[in-house]
This record gives sequence, C-alpha cells and structure tokens, in this order.
Amino acid sequence: MLLHHVDWRRAGKFKRIWKSFYTQRQLWLLCFPIIVWILLFAYYPMYGVLMAFFNYTPGREIFQSQFVGLAHFKRFISNPVFMQLLRNTLAMSSLGLTIGFSAPIIFSLMLTEIGHVRIKKLVQTISYLPHFISWVVAGSIVFLLLSSDGVINSLLINLDLTEQSIPFLTRGQYYWAVYTLANLWKSLGWSTIIYLSAIAGVDEELYQAGAIDGLGRLGMVRYITIPSILPTIVLLWILGIGGILNAGFEQHLILGNPMTQNYWDVLDTYSYRYGIQLGYYSMGTAVSLMKSIIGFSLVYMTNRISRRLLDLALF
Amino acid sequence: MKNAAYIKRTMSGTVFDTCNGLFLFLFTMLMVYPFLNILALSFNNGIDAARGGIYLWPRMFTTSNYEYVFSNKTLLRSAGVSVLRVVVGTVTGVLANALLGYIVSCRNFHGRKMMRLLFIITMYFSGGLIPTYLLMIRLGFINSFHVYWIPTLLSAYYMILTSSYIQNLPETLFESARIDGASELYIFSRIVMPLSVPMLACIAIYIGVSHWNAWFDVSLYSKDGRWDTLQIILYRLLNQANALAQILEQQRLMERMRTIQPQTVRAATTIIVTVPIIFIYPFFQRYFISGITIGAVKG
Repeated sequence: MLLHHVDWRRAGKFKRIWKSFYTQRQLWLLCFPIIVWILLFAYYPMYGVLMAFFNYTPGREIFQSQFVGLAHFKRFISNPVFMQLLRNTLAMSSLGLTIGFSAPIIFSLMLTEIGHVRIKKLVQTISYLPHFISWVVAGSIVFLLLSSDGVINSLLINLDLTEQSIPFLTRGQYYWAVYTLANLWKSLGWSTIIYLSAIAGVDEELYQAGAIDGLGRLGMVRYITIPSILPTIVLLWILGIGGILNAGFEQHLILGNPMTQNYWDVLDTYSYRYGIQLGYYSMGTAVSLMKSIIGFSLVYMTNRISRRLLDLALF
Repeated sequence: MKNAAYIKRTMSGTVFDTCNGLFLFLFTMLMVYPFLNILALSFNNGIDAARGGIYLWPRMFTTSNYEYVFSNKTLLRSAGVSVLRVVVGTVTGVLANALLGYIVSCRNFHGRKMMRLLFIITMYFSGGLIPTYLLMIRLGFINSFHVYWIPTLLSAYYMILTSSYIQNLPETLFESARIDGASELYIFSRIVMPLSVPMLACIAIYIGVSHWNAWFDVSLYSKDGRWDTLQIILYRLLNQANALAQILEQQRLMERMRTIQPQTVRAATTIIVTVPIIFIYPFFQRYFISGITIGAVKG
C-alpha cells in the first residue's frame, strides 16, 4: 500500500520534470551545443591536468600511462634551475607589486585633482591606449626605442651621459627594469579605472564635512579619499599576492632573448619550453599545476590575514 | 571635487594645480611619444635611421618601407588572415555570447543556474596551456583556421556582461512573444538583439581587439604558416632583428637590400598593426568604461 503510494509520487515527479523539460525544450536545445562546447574546451583540459602525475605519452589515455605520483614535482624542485626560476619570478612580481601597484594609485589621485574636465579626459584617453595594443607591438616599440641606434641611446650619447650605446636588450642586468617599465607603460592608465571609479563613489558630504572641520586639499586626500578607497586597494593587493607567481609570460617570449635568459626565465616560460617545445608534457603540466596550487593558497592565506587584521576579505 | 565651492582657494593650491597639470601633461606626452617615434622611423630611410638620432620627425623622408611591406606577399596574406580572423571571430563570438547571455537570463528556465555555474567555474579553474594544446592536436586544429575562433567562442566574462544587460530588459516583452507562439530563437533575434545594440557593440569591440592582438595561439597552432596573422609576422621580424642585433653592426653592411633595413621595415609593420586599433579607439572609448563597471558590479 505504502509502496504503491511512493511509486505514484515518483511517477508524478518524473512526469513533472519531463513536462517542464518539454515545455522548455527550445532553450534546452540551444543549451546542448553550448554544454558540449564547454565540456570539451574547458572541462576536458582540467581532466588533462592529471597527466602531471603520470608519464604521459600522447595518443594514449592518461590512465593507460605509467603512474609516477609526485615524481615530476620532486624532480623539478631538486633541479638547480628551480631556484633561478623562483628568483626571477619573485623579483619581477615584487617589482610589479610595489612599483606597478602603487603607480596607478598615485596617478589616479593626481588625475582627480585636475579641475579641467577636458584635460582630465584627454590624459585618461591617452593613458588607456597602450592597454589595447598587443604585446608584440609593445615589444617592437620597446626594441626600437632601446636598440643601439634607438632614441634612448641617441639621447644618452647626445647628452654625453654615456660614451657607447648601452645594450639594454642584450644584457641580463637590465632586463627586470625593462620588463617593469614596459609593463607599467602598458597597464598604468588602464589600472587607474578601478581606483577612479572608487574615488568617484566617495560621498561628497564627507568632503563638505571635512571642509567645515578645516581640512585643506591635501588633508582631504589624506583623511578622506585614501581611507575611502582603502578597501579597493586591499582587495587588489590580495589578488596581486595571489598572482605573485604570475611574473609575465608572453612579455618574456617577446622581450627576452637567449642572452638574457638567466634573468627572464620564469615558471610559466619554463613550463612552456619543456611542456610544448620539448614535448615533456607531464613535466610541464606539473610545473604549471604547482604554480596554480601555490597561487591559490597564497590568495587564501592573504585573504584570511586581511580578514582578521583589517576586516576586509575577498571571499 | 576641486571646483567645489566649499574648498578654500589658496596660493599653494594654485601652484600645486599648475604643477600637477603640467606633470600629467608631460607624462601623457611621454606615453604617446613611443608611437610618434616609431611613426617617424617608419617614414625614414633605413640606412639613415641606423645612424640613430631620430626623435620626432623623419630626417630622410621616404615611403619605401611601406612600399616594401605592401609589396611583400607574406605580409599581405597575413593581413588578410588577420582581418578574416577578426571578422569571423567577432561575429560568431558576439552571437554566441549574446545567445548564452539570453539563455541564462530567462528567469523561468530550469537549466539557468546550472549553465551559469558551468561557466563561472571556468573563471577560477582551467586546464592550463599544455592540456589545451594537446586537445587541439587531438581535434586536428593544427594548421587550421578554426582554432582561432572555436576555442575562444564563449567566455564567462562576456556571459556575465551580456546577461546582466539582458536581465534589465523588460521580461514582459519576451513573455508576450512566447504567448503569441514565438520561438526562443525568434525572440532572441527579433527582440533581444535589437534592444541590446550598445552592449553588443561593446563586446564586439572587446572581442575584435583581442582577436586582432592575438599572437600566442598563432605561434602554437599555425605550424606551416598558412594561417599566419600579422601579429605573428611582426613577432618573427622582432626575433630576426633580435638575432641581427647580436651579430654587431657589420651584418648591416652586407644586407642585400641597400635602403631597406629591418629596423625601419619593422617600424612600418608596427604602425600598420597599430593603426586599426587607433582608428577604432574613439568609437569604443565610450563603451569600455560601461563594460567594465557592469562586469565589476555583477561579477
């Protein structure tokens, strides 16, 4: 008796689901190719990450290959090149997190102080432009500016600051500076957008109250604007810490050359060189998997710390 | 905020304003200057340019660099491929992302949450370069044009952008069309699309620019050079010049073509690759800010 009752309800539920599915069949039909697409192009490669734990050979399934556990990770960490990769990665991302992080904040604070709307718009428009050109074009521009007969060397020689042209592009010691400046040129204007919109969101009454309490313009920036955009700054900082192992990729493929390799080779370029150019697929995947796991845990930790100390968190 | 009446005008304030304005103006000029320098180089005689010292204006004016570029078959073909990639990639990308945005903003659709989740997850996790590369090999996408537009067809970011726009359209329009017996595709193409033209223009520009600028996937998948784009040609020009720079100055004297030098040809190619971006820049300026804010609010 009871059993029958349950069966009936099940049948009813199934029928209801089928009916709702049927009435929305057009939308489901449209969804079908999209689901196939995302399973193939986004989720299948995620499954492919498992090859980091196998000795994968193409043409076979991952699970048919030999399981090696963490062997690739261990081999990579004990490789002497690992320390160099880590040094380059941390050096360039630290430069990014200090200079590349603070410059947009200062730039947007200065921009807001401009009274003329037109000049402000002009400065903004021009500073966004480098964001929209490709790194190949940016690299080409950097090369032409910094080459031995480029404009920088011409200027330095004409001003008698140097006798011979400086090999900016072929000497490793200059690489980090070149990379940081090129990055800054390309991203400075674009990064101000988020701060400018944060500044625009500050309540006007705060400034009025500040004026009554006798704050000057500098004081308003110091005691009103900066505290108001602090959450934005902290959130971006957390994201930046999480990306500390992202020290550029295509930039190095373009700006770098074999002579400066000791200074630009980072985890990503190593993974690309071994994984794709040399065909050590499992090794390359292991390197990039290690990188993302560390990055993810770093975001998690900074998030917890900032939640405890500043009561600000991303998630 | 500076112009507000309640802010006291002081002498030091005026000085600061002048310095600030001047500094930002010079700074901005510094940001544009690289483009102007390349422009001057691209119109200069190659051998003369090798002497250095070209700042803002060509010293020995010539258009031979551009003539060389436009008479080069490889370059012309790659420009054609670039244009084809932008057109196909943008049209398909805009249609697909708008359709996806429509699907996930239909309020009564039962699969809505699942579809959203499927895409949101991909914002945080991805298979990375090597598994994707191996997948493309498996699909036979090497040396094929399809590798440019199919794997980048949809993205979670554009889904958020399109759906947050479509959600703000009056739902009753769709409902009444449904009651009148319109199919979902009909509603999408006749009601949703015409109402979302600003949003479509915004993502069209984003997608178009990213297709125009893409070079890394070309370097991975265009092995036999049949589907080389302009960006990859410029990339190779860079690498060659890079190799040249290492073999000192003597190499230049032995160059086969007398006035055509890699440096100025590179400058001309760089300008040609940059011009389309600068040309559409004024049109999309007013869109990109709104695009970013929508993404920021909903994401």
